[in-house]
Amino acid sequence: MAPIQLRRKSTKWGLLPIMAIVAVVMLYPFWYIVDNAFRSQGQFDRQAGHSLSGWRQLFASLPVGGQLLNSTVVCVAAIAIILIVSTTAGFAFAKLRYRGSGMIFLLVVSALMVPLQSILFPEFVNLANVHLTSSYAGAVLVYAALGTPFATFLMATYYRGISDELIEAAVMDGLGYERTFLQIAIPLSLPAIATITVLQFIQIWDDLLVGLFFLPTSQRTITAGLATLSTGRTTSVPALMAGSLISAIPAIVVYLIFQRHLVKGLTLGMGK
Amino acid sequence: MSLTETEAGSVVRPAERRRGRNRPATRSRLARRRRRAGVLLSLPALALVVGLIGVPVGQAVYYSMTQWNGLTTTWIGPSTYTALVKDPVFWRVVENNALLLLAVPVAIGIPLVIAALLNEHVLGWRFFRSVYFMPTAISWVVIGMFALQFFSATGVLNGLLAHLGFGSSATDMLAGEHSALAALAITFIWSMVGTNTIIFLTGMATLDPTLVEAARVDGLSRIKIFFRVTLPLLTRFIQFSFVITVISAFSALFSLIFVMTSGGPGYGTTTLEFFIYQSGFQQVQLGTAALYGVVLFVIMAIAGLVQLRLIKPDDGGGW
Repeated sequence: MAPIQLRRKSTKWGLLPIMAIVAVVMLYPFWYIVDNAFRSQGQFDRQAGHSLSGWRQLFASLPVGGQLLNSTVVCVAAIAIILIVSTTAGFAFAKLRYRGSGMIFLLVVSALMVPLQSILFPEFVNLANVHLTSSYAGAVLVYAALGTPFATFLMATYYRGISDELIEAAVMDGLGYERTFLQIAIPLSLPAIATITVLQFIQIWDDLLVGLFFLPTSQRTITAGLATLSTGRTTSVPALMAGSLISAIPAIVVYLIFQRHLVKGLTLGMGK
Repeated sequence: MSLTETEAGSVVRPAERRRGRNRPATRSRLARRRRRAGVLLSLPALALVVGLIGVPVGQAVYYSMTQWNGLTTTWIGPSTYTALVKDPVFWRVVENNALLLLAVPVAIGIPLVIAALLNEHVLGWRFFRSVYFMPTAISWVVIGMFALQFFSATGVLNGLLAHLGFGSSATDMLAGEHSALAALAITFIWSMVGTNTIIFLTGMATLDPTLVEAARVDGLSRIKIFFRVTLPLLTRFIQFSFVITVISAFSALFSLIFVMTSGGPGYGTTTLEFFIYQSGFQQVQLGTAALYGVVLFVIMAIAGLVQLRLIKPDDGGGW
């Protein structure tokens, strides 16, 4: 027994360099972006010296503050809608089943398969016709609709894990379905709600397609703003790196704090 | 606060409940209220999804058989589909999607090995897991920004090659049709490492450790255990990550292509999803865009149906 233990220990230490190399490959882009954000184009070409020149150019060519605010507004509004419709619908599909609710559940969840690209122009023309593409509203609705299928699936799965007895007892105690939902189901499902929030925040914050198409130029998100900056090709590399850095920071911070929830959402239904 | 409410709600009062159950009038009234609450609560989600996804899908199918510039529509009919199959541009674009599929086994294989390494739980494995998963948090736009610098003629890759003594092999990968697609595929593989590693780690956590132990007692080497014991038990997880990876390759690379190559050079990196954008946005042929949209949707639907079979909706135990 002892020699086997010894051998296992040694191979484990042997893995460390490999893991470190993989870590370098995964982290290098982050380092590159940070390093080159603090240069001028000249310093970038020589790969020597640092300055704030890139940042100055970024702020001159992109309304960074405004676009960060736009991203925040769109994220908060879309997530609020997603949470409202997915908790209510998830609860109904799991605990208040009615004739045909199974079919409706499948219908909602199957929308997961539709890539936005497939319906891009019909969607745009529809929203433009009702004048929703001149404000945040159109983009918020599109994000909400795209996030709802998975969020509803997640909430329904979660609520199925809560015992029927508990819900019934609450209803029998005179709480009624509305208050049972608000006062019992919602507090119990906070972990699932957190997962949806984190997952959707990162998805919406990082999205380009909706931000590019459904928002007026003045209300562009930071990710869309950054992408259009790059297609201009007139901007210096350090300015693009600075833009990349500032647009990535909020998502990375959220990731570092709520990692666990993100992992949960990604692998839900995959457990034993 | 919420906890005490929950506890209060869970206090079962058997006498009251039995009385409630035994009175038919109360029961049917409750059943009616229950049904009404169910319909009411599921309505907003249904309306949102039908209005903003279901209806546009129907419209896309209709417009795919028309010439449409956003204002005027000319009906052509299902012949648009037969014309599509004869269009060499369509096949050029599909070829790019097919070539991207070649990246899928790599985008699964590398994370599989990484997950196996992490699963050995060496010193600091939690830290490494966080690091490997980190790219999942950043946008394709930012990844594309870096990739653009990495693959450019004066970029990181060529600098590295020159440093290693391969200076003569310096190339501008983004300038050639196939090499640009390869650059795109490499970037894609890098981006999928986090997601797929987490899927496999989750899978490995569900494995029965006694099986591995038994194989070890039988004298199998680490490598053999991985291929003969671990891998077969992970089949469902590998299928799942395969579907996720294919879906991403076909419908998540828009931003990467937009930033890195704009679909070029030529049709070099124009995939189905990017062609939809180009034909609609740049050429204002919205009918063509819808046509390609329907083709993409059908492919995604097939992948999605496979995925729905792999996840178990009745499983609440994952929490």
